Amino acid sequence: MQHLEIDNVCASYGKLEVLRDVTLSADKGEVVSLIGPSGSGKSTLLRVLIGLTPLTAGSIHVGGERVDYSNRKNLKKLRGHMAIVFQQYNLFQNMNVLRNVTIAPVKIKKQPRADAENKARELLEKVGMQEKAEAYPDELSGGQQQRVAIARALATNPEILLFDEVTSALDPERVKEVLDTIRSLTDEGITMMIVSHEMAFVREVSTRVAMMDEGRIIEVGPPAQIFEEPQQDRTRDFVSKILSH
Amino acid sequence: MDYTFQFAAVFEELPYLLGGAAITLQIAFVSFWGGAVIGLFGAIAKVYGGGFWRRLASGYVVAFTNTPALVQIFLLYYALPDAGILLEPLTAVLIGLVLNAGAYLTEILRAGVLSVRRSEIEAAQTLGMSGLQIVRYVMLPHIAKTIYAPLSNFFVWLVLGSSLAALFGVEELTGRAINISTVNLRSIETFTVVAMIYVVLTVIASSALALVGRLAFRVKAKVF
Repeated sequence: MQHLEIDNVCASYGKLEVLRDVTLSADKGEVVSLIGPSGSGKSTLLRVLIGLTPLTAGSIHVGGERVDYSNRKNLKKLRGHMAIVFQQYNLFQNMNVLRNVTIAPVKIKKQPRADAENKARELLEKVGMQEKAEAYPDELSGGQQQRVAIARALATNPEILLFDEVTSALDPERVKEVLDTIRSLTDEGITMMIVSHEMAFVREVSTRVAMMDEGRIIEVGPPAQIFEEPQQDRTRDFVSKILSH
Repeated sequence: MDYTFQFAAVFEELPYLLGGAAITLQIAFVSFWGGAVIGLFGAIAKVYGGGFWRRLASGYVVAFTNTPALVQIFLLYYALPDAGILLEPLTAVLIGLVLNAGAYLTEILRAGVLSVRRSEIEAAQTLGMSGLQIVRYVMLPHIAKTIYAPLSNFFVWLVLGSSLAALFGVEELTGRAINISTVNLRSIETFTVVAMIYVVLTVIASSALALVGRLAFRVKAKVF
């Protein structure tokens, strides 16, 4: 049984079909990366997984159980197992770093504040932000905010972690610190789905890579296959273009 | 024509007037918070609501911002008894002002709701927050920060506007002033003193609001 199973999922924004019959799965602890041109549906797939964008057809199973996105309880349960890190960090601007990280454990998982804060400080240390626990998001650089966002996502103890172009809004100098943080998480048994344009990183950390185009997955395989011996012309074309610049 | 001001006759009644001022503040306070609750949900309905809720909120705002508060209270006070609902003057005034304030605050708060970044709401959703938790922890702080100034102004307006309760025989500050002046016949002095009391009330009210904003919402408002 796969940890995460996506079967024939479709989604659309109004009349625009953004996902067409997407089927993909991830084993427990696997790191699956999604690559492809802008508008190919990579981010939408992550949004569908965590229930921000409705699916119009198909099904999603987590741990063998089908997720009912229209059921509030079911959705809350899902979000207790799954977390997402966004391109624009999406930190709560009115809360300091520590509160950003502790709000979900304290208010949703009802952990005692002291326990949640201890755990939060550990996580902040892991992402190298322990010095900034009292700072507000607008006092931090993009890379720092993104590392806090990763700590916030980890604070809910997710089994599945989604990364949606988490380095796309960062200065080139800041990309490395965020990628290093993600890299340090890959051996913790968390199932990950990563949307990224950082091909060297994708190639290094992924167990499998899925190439998407026009809302479809056109090829899935280990990084060596996708980057060295792609089976599809579209994959070869995309990979060669993005690697040559 | 000579007129000798005689404030002594008014100062004798100062405790009575200050008692009225306390009622004035209570009316303003109840109207403000009652209106704020209605306004918050009205604003969310107007920004995020579906067809029915949005139309309901819009209809309510149109009805209550395009008629005078005084007329609304008259309707509650004189029309509802026909439907078997008899209201005390103070109750009629409070209900009228809450509904009126709710309509204005819907519009004021709407600007605040629009200032909340969609991305923060999505982050809150994915962390598993319920709708009410999102309002409480994510939306309200942004709303409060954005609309602090118009909100304070509106509270001052309510302190002053509550004087229309006097027309219904409620003995708040203005009502008591009318009572005194019909006895001591010192209208100029009485209403001068009452005007001063209103100034003191509004200054205290807006400073207190600025202080709350500073402490609670990191608003860099000037505290007097």
